[in-house]
Amino acid sequence: MSAVLSAQGLRAYYRVQAFGVTREVRAVDDVTLAVGQNEIYGIAGESSSGKSSLIKTLARAIRPPLEVVGGSVTYDFGDGPQDLYAMAPDRLAAIRWRNLSYIMQGSMSVLNPVRRIRRAFADFARPHMEGSRAEYEERVEAHLAHLQLSPSVLDAFPHELSGGMRQRVTIALATVCRPRFIIADEPTTALDVIVQKDVLAMLRRIQQEMASSMLFVTHDMAVHAHLTDRLGIIYAGRLVEEGATRDVFRTPLHPYTSHLIASLPRIGDVAPKQGLPGRPPNLADPPPGCRFHPRCPLAIPVCREQSPPLEALAPGHRVACPVASRMPQAA
Amino acid sequence: MLRIVRDLLRTNWEFAAGTLLLLGVLVLALLSFLSPYSPIDVYVVPPDMPPSGEYLLGTTSRGQDLFWQLTAALRNTLLFGIVVAAVSRVIALLVGLFAGYLGGGGDRLLMLFNDTFIVLPIFPILVLFYFVMRDQMSTFMLALVMACLGWAYDARLIRAVAMSVKAREFTTHSVFAGMTPTEIVLREHLPYVVPLLFSTTMNNINWSIGLEVTLAVLGFTDVNTPSIGGLIYWANQHTALVSGIWWWLAFPVVALVALFVGLFLLAISMNEYIDPRSRLARLGGGT
Repeated sequence: MSAVLSAQGLRAYYRVQAFGVTREVRAVDDVTLAVGQNEIYGIAGESSSGKSSLIKTLARAIRPPLEVVGGSVTYDFGDGPQDLYAMAPDRLAAIRWRNLSYIMQGSMSVLNPVRRIRRAFADFARPHMEGSRAEYEERVEAHLAHLQLSPSVLDAFPHELSGGMRQRVTIALATVCRPRFIIADEPTTALDVIVQKDVLAMLRRIQQEMASSMLFVTHDMAVHAHLTDRLGIIYAGRLVEEGATRDVFRTPLHPYTSHLIASLPRIGDVAPKQGLPGRPPNLADPPPGCRFHPRCPLAIPVCREQSPPLEALAPGHRVACPVASRMPQAA
Repeated sequence: MLRIVRDLLRTNWEFAAGTLLLLGVLVLALLSFLSPYSPIDVYVVPPDMPPSGEYLLGTTSRGQDLFWQLTAALRNTLLFGIVVAAVSRVIALLVGLFAGYLGGGGDRLLMLFNDTFIVLPIFPILVLFYFVMRDQMSTFMLALVMACLGWAYDARLIRAVAMSVKAREFTTHSVFAGMTPTEIVLREHLPYVVPLLFSTTMNNINWSIGLEVTLAVLGFTDVNTPSIGGLIYWANQHTALVSGIWWWLAFPVVALVALFVGLFLLAISMNEYIDPRSRLARLGGGT
């Protein structure tokens, strides 16, 4: 399986300069990951762990002060791998929406409140679609119908739609060009569980029909368990564990992952949940060595000194933890 | 749109009163096309006649029927205000929207111009323009000059809105979709400032007419083209107040006040249309 997206040693920092002092916030630090065709790759992590910064960097939707400091992002849309950050602007414009689309966080504000949905499609999707006006309109309406939206939403303003409908419109907008790669940033976070399930099923169906790949970001582990094929856990800007979603849930290797999964409620489980002491580190001044060590119950002296590399402990299951690497694998 | 106007007329007395006053002024201005006399001719009727059935608003010392003079004056003054507002809106929109969207160096450059125009003392400059251009200083020319001087405050206002809109998700979305800055500004951000544009237009018309009247009263405009300020100028020249020709001053002033108050009421009632919170406050539903 060839990778559609591969990131190598990606680093992106927020750089702020004031009064001659430069401060760096290392929001994305040495992330290496690959997403194959027809795969849903999940990214999990708590708030402020750098999830959104990571996918903005992967989509080249970054604005100062966030900038890429090192590493590369390569996409392969069937015509050979291409470095996203070395791409000419016209080539970039050509792949966006057609090959690479982005469902942004907060669907409530993604649509311009003073423009009708029809205009949103005309602004965002029309320039990337070929064919006559009639064909384009037919395609849009067919696509909306496919997502259980009536064509009448086209004449509505965003505030006239319910949250679920608006989310579906945003997804329709991002998928109408049948992109090969979809980046979804917390698309279901603002929705209640029932609507969430609908929207997830719809996303999954669309992704399967188009055999496209998807990068799915949410802090909600239950959604990951439900939807994603592979899962990457982000802590403080670093990828700490990566593997098939089933393996990560069954045998979490990194202590942070174990705690994340242990925090999920189970039916019939009455034992009180234990919180992890401490707070996520300040990314402007991260702790040396493993960034998790101040909170880690298993920390050993080497954790304070060396930043652990991601190592494959089982096929396709990588973890950045010296303790986990030394333990004999039960799985 | 029609429904909004109807609702505003019904629930908002400022809007209703403002519309009524402006309609009155507009009807008067349109009547000028039916005038039996050319507005620049003098001594066509007996001078100094008080208001009567024959001369509705009396006649001036220059032998002009004040009613028909007033209609022509209102038409020119109104047209003047509209031209100034229209031209200065275009400048304010372009500068404000692009400065807000571009940020950084472009913003600083545009705001340098903008702030220069804010601190310029406009009145002396207009007087200077009059003395330098003299014969070329037609009403239309004056309107263009004032439009070039009167956009800066509103450009700052529009820039502020553009900056806030720029930070919203849909702008990022538009950038990601490959829209150019011009497309984003004109298609995504422009609709956002349209309500603001309405109310600044009213204020700008008021401002420009006020300034034009001031200039005209002092004789610093083309006073042969009838305008409200021009009427007052000629009344002063003929010492109308001393000789008891009060109607020559009173009616132009009343018409001008009606125009000002009408525009002002429209501008503030526009608030209700722009900001739903003030609508709630009116209904007693909190702030």
